[in-house]
Amino acid sequence: MEDVIKVTQLSKSYDGMLAVDNVSLAVRRGMVFGLLGANGAGKSTTIECILGTKKPDSGMVSILGMNPHVDRKRLYEKVGVQFQEANYQDKITVGELCEATQSLYKEAADYVELLKRFEIADKIKSNVNDLSGGQRQRLFIVLALIPNPEVVFLDELTTGLDAKARREVWKIISDLKTKGLSILLTSHFMDEIEALCDCICILKHGQTVFYGTVSEAIAASPYNKFEDAYLWYTDEEEIDDENLSYDA
Amino acid sequence: MKTFRTMLKIELKLSLRGMDMFIFAICMPIVVLIIFGIIFGNKPAFEGASYSFLDQSFGAIATIAICAGGVMGLPLVVSDYRNKKILKRFMVTPISPAMILSVQVVIYTLYAIVSLLLLYAAGTAIFGLKLHGPLLNFLGGYLLVMLSMFSIGMMVGGIAPNTKTASVIASALYFPMLIFSGATLPYEIMPAALQRFADILPLTQGIKLLKAASLGLPAGSILMAIVVMIAIAVICIIVSIKFFKWK
Repeated sequence: MEDVIKVTQLSKSYDGMLAVDNVSLAVRRGMVFGLLGANGAGKSTTIECILGTKKPDSGMVSILGMNPHVDRKRLYEKVGVQFQEANYQDKITVGELCEATQSLYKEAADYVELLKRFEIADKIKSNVNDLSGGQRQRLFIVLALIPNPEVVFLDELTTGLDAKARREVWKIISDLKTKGLSILLTSHFMDEIEALCDCICILKHGQTVFYGTVSEAIAASPYNKFEDAYLWYTDEEEIDDENLSYDA
Repeated sequence: MKTFRTMLKIELKLSLRGMDMFIFAICMPIVVLIIFGIIFGNKPAFEGASYSFLDQSFGAIATIAICAGGVMGLPLVVSDYRNKKILKRFMVTPISPAMILSVQVVIYTLYAIVSLLLLYAAGTAIFGLKLHGPLLNFLGGYLLVMLSMFSIGMMVGGIAPNTKTASVIASALYFPMLIFSGATLPYEIMPAALQRFADILPLTQGIKLLKAASLGLPAGSILMAIVVMIAIAVICIIVSIKFFKWK
């Protein structure tokens, strides 16, 4: 199967500090790919370098066979993005934000349908500022789906949602996946990763410490629960830090 | 076109909800016109002049809205969108910087045109204001001044790294031009030294252009002003699109 996202040896540093160190990954069509790691491990920088909102120091990125820097306008007809922090104009309503977003694409989805599916259609006249955290999160997933995308990036997919709303989002993601949508997401919920992701990449200090399926991640660790395995992959930093401080 | 129309409709609604431009571009010029009208009435601009002081000032007052929108409103809204990371979200959509900027330019153009119409209506109805040159010359000059002032705003908004820098630059452009270019304080009553300083400000050149057009003065005296306006517009528009910062 073809790779819809392909990243080869991506590196990015800030003021001499490596934030992303030689990361490679590939997402095939119809796959849900999870990018994991503690806060500051380099997830957001990796996503931004893939999207082209940050320029990598080195490495190759292609989405749907296009370079996000060179083919920006063509590429983003087909790609939906939900950023970690929600960005919208003051005093804008849900309906206006959706309508403005829809107008940017040649072949956009019907946002009213999407709002209904995410059960926020009754909020269409509300100010985006007045939504609850969960409603706003769902709205931003709707915005990412408005372009009728082939690939979606979801940064911190269900942060701020309650248990029921999270399950609903999972169901929608699974439906989209069966329709052939490819998804790259980050999340801090390991149950979510287990339920949704076909492949994961765990980052630590900008480096890949695990790449493969969830069951492979468990098998290669001394634990039999994914959350424990994940912590085992990411938690050694504290021991390292202690060693460093002793050396100093 | 669909993108432009929808964005324009929504951004215009948002701008009207903000009220700032209603105050600075619509109300303020009217207030200045009324003050000028009350102070100078129908007095001739100088002994033996064929036009009144108010006729002479009309071109200047008409630029207040251009100045407010172009060097204050435009740079602030674009840099605010950058600060709020709205531009970053736009960066991962197919929209172009030229589209983002032109939607805002059209909004401030609308404010300026509404202001011009209101000023003209109020001036003629209350104070017997008269346009002495051809209307087309005046409108052409008005468009040129607008293009040139807005291009300065596009450049500041397009490339300022943050809201703070944008607002400092906007204030540094707005207040001197509002006061010293003749838009509010009449250029004719300034001492010669102050006039020489005022001549450096691009808006002063624009106002000279509009005065010549509204008073029907010969075009030769304003050739330099026309060249300056066009040069500013070309340079600033190219810079604003070429060096546009998404974040």
